[in-house]
Amino acid sequence: MSFRKKLLLLFAATVFLCVVVISASVWSTMRSSFEGANEERANAIAAQFRSEFQRRGDEVVRKVEAVTATETVQRIALEVNRGASDSGSYVGEARSLADQQHLDFLELVDHQGSILSSSQWQAKFGYPEPAIPSAIGSAGGFLKREELPNGSTLGLFAVRAARVGEQPLYVIGGERLDQGFLSTLDIPAGTRVLLYQNLEEKWDPKSLLDLNGPAAGADKIAPLVEQVRRTGQEAHRVIGWSASSADAETFDAMPLNGPNQKLLGVLLVGSSRRPLVELQGKVVSTALLVGGSGILVAVVASLWFAARVTRPVGSLAEAARRVAVGDLAAKVDIDSSDELGELASAFNRMTEDLVQQKERTLQAERVAAWRELARRLAHELKNPLFPLQVTVENLVRAKEKAPEMFEEVFRESTATLLAEINNLKAIIGRFSEFARMPQPQRKPVQLNDVVQSVLRVFQAQLQEKSQIAVRTELEAGLPEISADPDLLHRAISNLVMNAIDALPQGGAITVRTQSVDGAVEMSVSDTGSGLTPEECERLFTPYYTTKQHGTGLGLAIVQSVVSDHGGKISVESTKEKGTTFRIDLPREER
Amino acid sequence: MMQAAPNTIEIPAGATPTDHWDSVRILAMLTDKLVELDAAARPQPALALAWQSDMNGKRWQFTLRHGIRFHDGSPASAASIAKILGDLHSDWIVRGAGDTLTIESDYPLPSLLAELSLPRNAILKRNTDALPVGTGPFRVAEFQPGRHLKLAANEESWAGRPFADAIEIDLGRSLRDQSIAFELGKTDVIEAPPQASANSGRFRTSLPVELMALVFPASTRAQDVRLRDALALAINRKPIQSGLLRGAGEPAGAILPNWMTGYAAVFPTQTDLQRAKAVLADSRQPALTLSYDPRDPQAQLIADRIALNAREAGITVQVSLSGTADLSLVRVVLPSPDPATSLREVARALGLQQPMIRGNSVDDLYAAERALLEGHNVIPLFHLPVASAAGTRVHNWDPARTGDWNLSTAWLEAP
Repeated sequence: MSFRKKLLLLFAATVFLCVVVISASVWSTMRSSFEGANEERANAIAAQFRSEFQRRGDEVVRKVEAVTATETVQRIALEVNRGASDSGSYVGEARSLADQQHLDFLELVDHQGSILSSSQWQAKFGYPEPAIPSAIGSAGGFLKREELPNGSTLGLFAVRAARVGEQPLYVIGGERLDQGFLSTLDIPAGTRVLLYQNLEEKWDPKSLLDLNGPAAGADKIAPLVEQVRRTGQEAHRVIGWSASSADAETFDAMPLNGPNQKLLGVLLVGSSRRPLVELQGKVVSTALLVGGSGILVAVVASLWFAARVTRPVGSLAEAARRVAVGDLAAKVDIDSSDELGELASAFNRMTEDLVQQKERTLQAERVAAWRELARRLAHELKNPLFPLQVTVENLVRAKEKAPEMFEEVFRESTATLLAEINNLKAIIGRFSEFARMPQPQRKPVQLNDVVQSVLRVFQAQLQEKSQIAVRTELEAGLPEISADPDLLHRAISNLVMNAIDALPQGGAITVRTQSVDGAVEMSVSDTGSGLTPEECERLFTPYYTTKQHGTGLGLAIVQSVVSDHGGKISVESTKEKGTTFRIDLPREER
Repeated sequence: MMQAAPNTIEIPAGATPTDHWDSVRILAMLTDKLVELDAAARPQPALALAWQSDMNGKRWQFTLRHGIRFHDGSPASAASIAKILGDLHSDWIVRGAGDTLTIESDYPLPSLLAELSLPRNAILKRNTDALPVGTGPFRVAEFQPGRHLKLAANEESWAGRPFADAIEIDLGRSLRDQSIAFELGKTDVIEAPPQASANSGRFRTSLPVELMALVFPASTRAQDVRLRDALALAINRKPIQSGLLRGAGEPAGAILPNWMTGYAAVFPTQTDLQRAKAVLADSRQPALTLSYDPRDPQAQLIADRIALNAREAGITVQVSLSGTADLSLVRVVLPSPDPATSLREVARALGLQQPMIRGNSVDDLYAAERALLEGHNVIPLFHLPVASAAGTRVHNWDPARTGDWNLSTAWLEAP
């Protein structure tokens, strides 16, 4: 990954993380504030409920006291004390008394707890009123589950006793605690109040009431009610009504207990989460907008910054690549005065040093080459010169000391001199030939043909040295290459000749050709004594030879030909096993 | 005053006891039957002075009063009466000649006299306004359907002209309205709720002539006889009688009241919750719906009470007027002092199988009633009387113990 991309990602990630952290912080704060407000609202409604409960309870107490004070109740109490009637004598009395005081429930109960008259269930006379033992001491209103012919309901009750004789007559009156009661509460917008009348042993959806009667979707609230029923403690839960979280509500559930602390109802205050969700949506939108903008700014900034940083670095890299391929003139043009500027200056200084060093090396190499050339020339020329000198000295000596033999010496000496002069001319000719290597004259060439041509040239020589076996492994259908067949012939001849020279004791020479990845490969292997690694390194250096009478120009010529054809030459050698020279030639001109 | 508000003066099929008694009382003043039964179920002459039958009871011969005329002046001859009865009973062969009327049948008619004493066998014709034209002490003078009926004295009544010149009856008046009007002196005779004592002051209460019972229709979910048995054991009749029926009537375990048969006490009426629960054991029983007659002011409370009693035994009974009921709280009239006739009529009214009464003995009757109650398809609850009240201006008023008003002998004190 490029530095620019890394920088871009770093900037974007930094901006993104900042936005996420800030948004999460705002989100969390907002959520906790909303939950706190919800709790306060639920507590306020619960307080309002309790206040209304107290007020309505006082009202029920007042009405029950009014009923207790009626002449009818006093008469019944008197008759009950006299024992002059049975439980069925007052069936209709409670209903008329309840109607007078606008009570939903009214029962007259004797001291034994038997109902004498019931307004809500007239047929219930004679049956026991289970609330009497626990409710007798209640000064105010209390919750009570009331059995009715068509089911049960929850009511706010009060009890008073008419004491005419020894045996009190209890008057238990009450009002329904249902949606009508809920409608008296002042409920803020976005909030609603539900009442679960805990009338059945199991969850009963019909017992969950809102302002309009049985609440819709009651089953979703069941787990919350069950939790309160199970623990008797307050509980709260978020309940979703649809796939949209904006439709969810936070419900706070509070238990409503009777006089004996038995759970008789659950008050549920539901607050819509729509405001929170909408606010959260705005936060998300803002965060996305800020985040998006931040990332955009980060991209621009990173691009600018990357340009500031990576362009010089890129220039440096490009210059380094140029230097690597030998262009020591590469310069980095950076004006900044920072570290990159220093780096560029150092690079430029380095290239200048390299140029100077290269020039020095070149000069040194030239000097060395000239010295080597001089040494080689001296070495090559010294051998023929010594016989020349000796021959001339013999001529002089013969002229002075044995003139009679001078003619004979002269003939012999001139022959020697001519031979040595020819030798000198041959030496000079080889040097001249190397200096005059021609440029290749390319044309389509079948390498196998060239190889076979070379082998035909050496055929006679090889037949003389019968101990040398020649093997050819030439790939059939080898593609043609663009090359100068004469130069190739010369190069391959040099390699074959070297191989023959490497096998003074006989051996095998193998010549191979094959096509490799758009190129053509040719190798010449011998089974000679091989070369050392040091010899391999210096093998292609001009005038370097491992042979006793070599000029050191053969492989230099081969390398020159291969190089002129855009190919390359390599050597692999293992001591005492042999040497392989491999030439790779491109099929097309490069 | 009357509760019912009939649009026609007849006893409609499926009439409630209230409708029944109103119509019976009116028709009793307008019409006669061949024979009447007294409270002891003994036949008494009416239009027929004498009667006799052959040995197997398939042929009966009646000697009619002479010179009887309908309210429209036409003679109530044997032939005309024969036609009326023949139209009512297609399986009878009724002939009239002179003062003699004969009734023949392919099967024995041992209870023919009781049958002829039933209100449905009153001798009457219909005029062009479909109003009844009978031979009774009063005739229809004016009829506003559902609102008002005015009767005028029949000057030519064979029993003698009634003392009252006319009787005006306001129809469709509730017992409460009747009571208020009565207390204000705006009416002389009213219907009244059954009273605890037979005759107290101005109130007159009949013998128990109605049966209140629970009836299970064929489609009931209470197919398990144990459930019906448990329900019968769970019902506490006494508080209902004392509290809701104001002491009137008698708790009943039998269809027929004791005054008719003398053996009604043999059928138990006691509550036995323990046994009811034991009968049900651990069986899983369906919840039942109980319907009642909404026109009966006491029925709902009694139904509620029965539901309460049932709940104590572990039986769920929901009182409801909607849907198909599993059991119904009904009141049926015991239309005849003759127990066999009433048993048959009650069985017919309740949709039960007709009782197999093999003879005329009490044992035969008991066996038939016992068989009818087997399986608790009907649970008798109470035998109820009907009550009336007459104002202080009314003298010589002697309503029949079977519930008829019998106003023909009463006279009014001048205001």
